[in-house]
Amino acid sequence: MKDKNQKFKDMFGEDVVRLVIILIFVVVMSFASPYFMQMKNMMNILQNISLQGITAIGMTIVIITGGIDISVGGVCAFSAWIAASLMKSGVNWGVACLCAIIIAACCGMINAFSIGIMKIPPMIATLAVMNMTRGLQTVISRGTTLTGLPESFQVIGQGNILGVIPIPAVIIIVLYLLAAWFMSRTILGRSIYAVGGNPESARVAGIKNTRVLFFSYIICSVFACIAGLVFVSRTNSAPSTLANNLEMKAIMAAVIGGTSVTFGGKGKIWGTFLGVIIVGLMTNALDLLGVSAYYQQFIQGVLVLLVVFLEAIRSNRAAKQH
Amino acid sequence: MEQKVIVSMEDITMSFSGNRVLKGVNFQLKEGEIHSLMGANGAGKSTLIKILNGIYHAVSGIIKVDDKQVQIRTPKDAEKFGLAFVHQELNVCNDLTVAENIYIGNWIKNKRGLYDKKATSRRTKELLEIMGVDLNPDVPVRRLRTAEKQIIEILKTMTRDAKVVVLDEPTSSLNEKEKENFFGIIHRMKKNGVSIIFISHFLEDVLALSDRVTVLKDGVNNGIFSRGGYTKDDLVVAMLGKKIIETEMRPLTVQEDAKVVLEVRKLCSDKKFNNINLKIRHGDIVGVCGLLGAGKTEIARAIFGLDKFDTGEIILNNEGISRIRPDLMIEKKVALLTEDRKLEGFVPLMSIRENATLSVMKKMSNRVGIINRKKQEAFAEDISRRMTVKMSGIEQNVVSLSGGNQQKVVIARCLAIQPELFLLDEPTRGVDVYAKSEIYKILREAAESGTAILIFSSELEELLANCTKIIILKKGMITDVVNTEELSKNRLLSMIG
Repeated sequence: MKDKNQKFKDMFGEDVVRLVIILIFVVVMSFASPYFMQMKNMMNILQNISLQGITAIGMTIVIITGGIDISVGGVCAFSAWIAASLMKSGVNWGVACLCAIIIAACCGMINAFSIGIMKIPPMIATLAVMNMTRGLQTVISRGTTLTGLPESFQVIGQGNILGVIPIPAVIIIVLYLLAAWFMSRTILGRSIYAVGGNPESARVAGIKNTRVLFFSYIICSVFACIAGLVFVSRTNSAPSTLANNLEMKAIMAAVIGGTSVTFGGKGKIWGTFLGVIIVGLMTNALDLLGVSAYYQQFIQGVLVLLVVFLEAIRSNRAAKQH
Repeated sequence: MEQKVIVSMEDITMSFSGNRVLKGVNFQLKEGEIHSLMGANGAGKSTLIKILNGIYHAVSGIIKVDDKQVQIRTPKDAEKFGLAFVHQELNVCNDLTVAENIYIGNWIKNKRGLYDKKATSRRTKELLEIMGVDLNPDVPVRRLRTAEKQIIEILKTMTRDAKVVVLDEPTSSLNEKEKENFFGIIHRMKKNGVSIIFISHFLEDVLALSDRVTVLKDGVNNGIFSRGGYTKDDLVVAMLGKKIIETEMRPLTVQEDAKVVLEVRKLCSDKKFNNINLKIRHGDIVGVCGLLGAGKTEIARAIFGLDKFDTGEIILNNEGISRIRPDLMIEKKVALLTEDRKLEGFVPLMSIRENATLSVMKKMSNRVGIINRKKQEAFAEDISRRMTVKMSGIEQNVVSLSGGNQQKVVIARCLAIQPELFLLDEPTRGVDVYAKSEIYKILREAAESGTAILIFSSELEELLANCTKIIILKKGMITDVVNTEELSKNRLLSMIG
């Protein structure tokens, strides 16, 4: 019996804490605003978190490999802006989106090349790509905002299924289910955990570490691009400030969700989903309290630091026991 | 004249999780002497030194420095009592100069409290001259050879007024000429009143250098020898005992004409090993024996493709291999058990199930790479049972297993691919006696079913008990190949030392 208890704790212990946090948010908010508990608002929240939510999937995968990708904001903005401008010049929206995804994949490949082959620390490698993409996006957009995108494209972000469930909410849930299944059930998914957990033994066991890294960084950039496309479609605009601070929000969701940035190989897609919801609810609450966006950024930073501290304390304690 | 005793360790006992490794050891270092500490692997000498350094804390016993009883709780305490340790791994800062490295942490300051580069360099120059070392104090350490870096490590202790210097295997990477130089420095330190504890496997170096030798065997004192009163053989007998171990297992028979699984021709890698030739047949167990730094790990890693080598050929089943990469070698049914279980062995956060099947995930999945969990579980269950892993279940985390059982999981991962060639680097390091014998049994069974096994080890008993042939490796070169049957442990030890 004791064993079973322990097993339960190991599997769900942290997630229970996350669920409780979400519950507290929900209870407090439902007292604060009767509108909050309505289905429509729930769907709204899901819609609002779609940008960082989709990006956080890729971020979680990259952090599990033992790396980090801070170029997601730049890649997202750059590729989504190109898609928007292609649509404006009359290209079919499907083709435009495909182009954007290919461009994002190339950015991911640059990241993977620097990290997997040139062995550059992920923080620096992706910082470079972040500046490259942000810079290019500023140059070609000249600080303007594109609006008036094709209506058929706008459906992705604004449409509903059965009249209540917004398509972005469907996309985000489907992507999370798919990613969670992929990470736990496929060879590649398990290889990502192995490479992050111990790159040397993964190599000795015959896993192609470089390939795994290429896949992870490319998929991370592609997810950032998809997130950008959904966002552009929903707001019918591609502003030059698109996806500002996205990397921080995605990292925050992953870290709150229990993905370890101190060592690789630890983290769950399901945890990140809860992390995204916590971040979404928090933003929502801060908005309602009328806290300025600048303070929000400060609070986000403090929160990430706190969560990372908690994890460090725990892993140090665990290291002492061994 | 009776010399004063400067460090005295009396009746030291130590145990790790109920396993007693030191059973009342005594060790006395006199002022101004060079005292060697010897013992076979597991005799307890490194434990004893770690207690003196404050890394381990003795269960009972007294440590006296200068006749005063002291408590050494941390390495910092040891430094305070004037004890300095030079470890086998070098801790130099490659981008600082020789002078900055020697005075590291004690850099000489000028009147304004800033770092005085000139004075540091001048003082270093004086020190180098006294010690008879021909080095430029202003050269970055990166440009020096390993032997010179080691000298810097030793000179560091001189700037801290250490009364006692402990040298752990300092000669393993030195050639003959460097060694002479090194001996000169040690003698000059002795002349300056420094007492030295010298830990080494090399019998000749111990003979040449020491005033006295203390030998440990199985956690107890087994003889103290003074200069002139002993021979190399006396040391060997004290370290190992006279008895030649008997193998319980009947000798492995390999057909003369069994096919050659692996042939290595003229394998060379700069500064690691030179002109390595070896052959191993289907179903044979061959040992490669050598001390630390002899190049065992390097050769194993090169054959498996973990590290690159300069020239030479690796031939598997009569087929020359041109692209040598771990993943390709595994496809060719070659497995490697690496030396460091924690760093390169298993993935710590994964279960026994996942670790054991890490190399064979493809076999238990469909074409697009979706793993069949049932198949994986059945496989893991079966192989961990065959490896006699003591576990609560295949979902147990590998980190929570004992060292021996962790090793069995890693061996399971290697045997999962049904290797034709299995390379093992120090397969039983940090493994208890019972698990050891189980691992030997597993290896024997694998050999009987046709796997060619190559064991790289510094444990003589292990090689003598399991191998049909032993290749002797010394400083990156093969110096001899012997049949195990005609060999005693004592002869083997004097061959590698």
